[in-house]
Amino acid sequence: MIKAVHLSKHFGNVKAVDDVSLHIHKGEVVCIIGPSGSGKSTLIRCLHGLEVPDSGELYVNDKLVDFSKDTTKDLAHIGFVFQLFNLFPHKTVLENLTLGPVKAGGVPQKQAEETAIKLLTRVGLAEKANDYPASLSGGQKQRVAIARALCQSPEVILFDEPTSALDPEMIGEVLNVMKELADEGMTLAVVTHEMGFARKVADRVIFVDGGKIVEEGTPDQIFDAPQSDRLKLFLSQVIHM
Amino acid sequence: MSAFERIFTPENMQFMVKGAGYSLLVAICALAGGSVLGLLAAMARMGKNKIARAIANVYVEVIRGTPMMLQILLLYLGGPVITRTLFHYVFTPNPILVGTIAIAINSGAYSTELFRSAIQSVDKGQWEAAKTIGLTHKQTLREIILPQAFKRILPPYINEFIVLIKDSSLLSTIGAAELLQRADVLGAKFYNYLLPLLFATVAYLVMTLTISYFARRLERRLAESD
Repeated sequence: MIKAVHLSKHFGNVKAVDDVSLHIHKGEVVCIIGPSGSGKSTLIRCLHGLEVPDSGELYVNDKLVDFSKDTTKDLAHIGFVFQLFNLFPHKTVLENLTLGPVKAGGVPQKQAEETAIKLLTRVGLAEKANDYPASLSGGQKQRVAIARALCQSPEVILFDEPTSALDPEMIGEVLNVMKELADEGMTLAVVTHEMGFARKVADRVIFVDGGKIVEEGTPDQIFDAPQSDRLKLFLSQVIHM
Repeated sequence: MSAFERIFTPENMQFMVKGAGYSLLVAICALAGGSVLGLLAAMARMGKNKIARAIANVYVEVIRGTPMMLQILLLYLGGPVITRTLFHYVFTPNPILVGTIAIAINSGAYSTELFRSAIQSVDKGQWEAAKTIGLTHKQTLREIILPQAFKRILPPYINEFIVLIKDSSLLSTIGAAELLQRADVLGAKFYNYLLPLLFATVAYLVMTLTISYFARRLERRLAESD
């Protein structure tokens, strides 16, 4: 579905993403883990053109993405959920959801609203449709952001540390929504620090360090039988007790 | 007859109120003209075209680095010299018209920075989120960025309007018949400057305080989504 081939991205002298190749298949849940500054966020942002790679190729459904042009249309059916939600503060929850389908997708307003309400119900926030984002809790904001991504009728949703900015008691509600999506067969790629989620929900876990994929495998392989020293060290640091 | 009764006759009051009307008109036209100049210059400063960027930079720096009084005199007294020398065209400029243009050019330089900083202060994540839901650059500006920038710009923008109402008094020096100039005329006529100047004081305050009152109400309404 999404295939990255020899992707690289530098910031100054720092190789944030260093020659990474990665294939996300339909229906698969891929979790990307790694230490801070390992390049995992840059990697997932490259998959939606939020960072333009310096070199390498990106294919979406076997079609090469041309970064020299505006990629917005090519990547329209890839959802993206940000660490800091990035909801539109001057629009109501419902408007946040309908804006993309109506303005970019040409969906009639009424139909877009019906879909939006359905998706809000799915993330348990239908009663917040006419509220502004500022009145929501962090967990609610992120669930709205997920519903907004779903409004694009995405073939895959990319998550960039969706729970890192949340208070601990709100992490569960967001992870539950993500797990439901996974159970329904949605393709997900998730950059996360939630090892429990990765272990339970992921089909494949990718460990990134220094801008490279160091190790990848099933959750059992990664968490119970890590091969590389770097992964062993990382796991010993993040999994307490 | 007291000085008060001699000066504040219905005709003189009407004369002064009309002056206040001109002051307000100058400020409104200068603000509108300045906004157009400011938005163009702000776009030029943020854009990729080097020549446009350089022109906008010079405009902002030259205007902000010189007194407004000088700019008004240059345009009013210097303008006819230029047309005479270049086109052998002699004319007597209308002080209100030329003065308003000068103030608009001045205000535009300050608006440039206002617009630019407001647009750039909108979080980068807003552009990114708009991109992920498929909006084009233009749609993002119109639907996401400018509405948020507008909210931020409103307080300093209203302030600019109030500044312009006060700055319009500079046109009294080139003989434009606005509020301060008319107070001056009445003062000279009745050998009493105090009362006409006090009248002008009250008139300026009525205009500026009314505007800030409505600005605060508008701001509160816009703040609903915060």
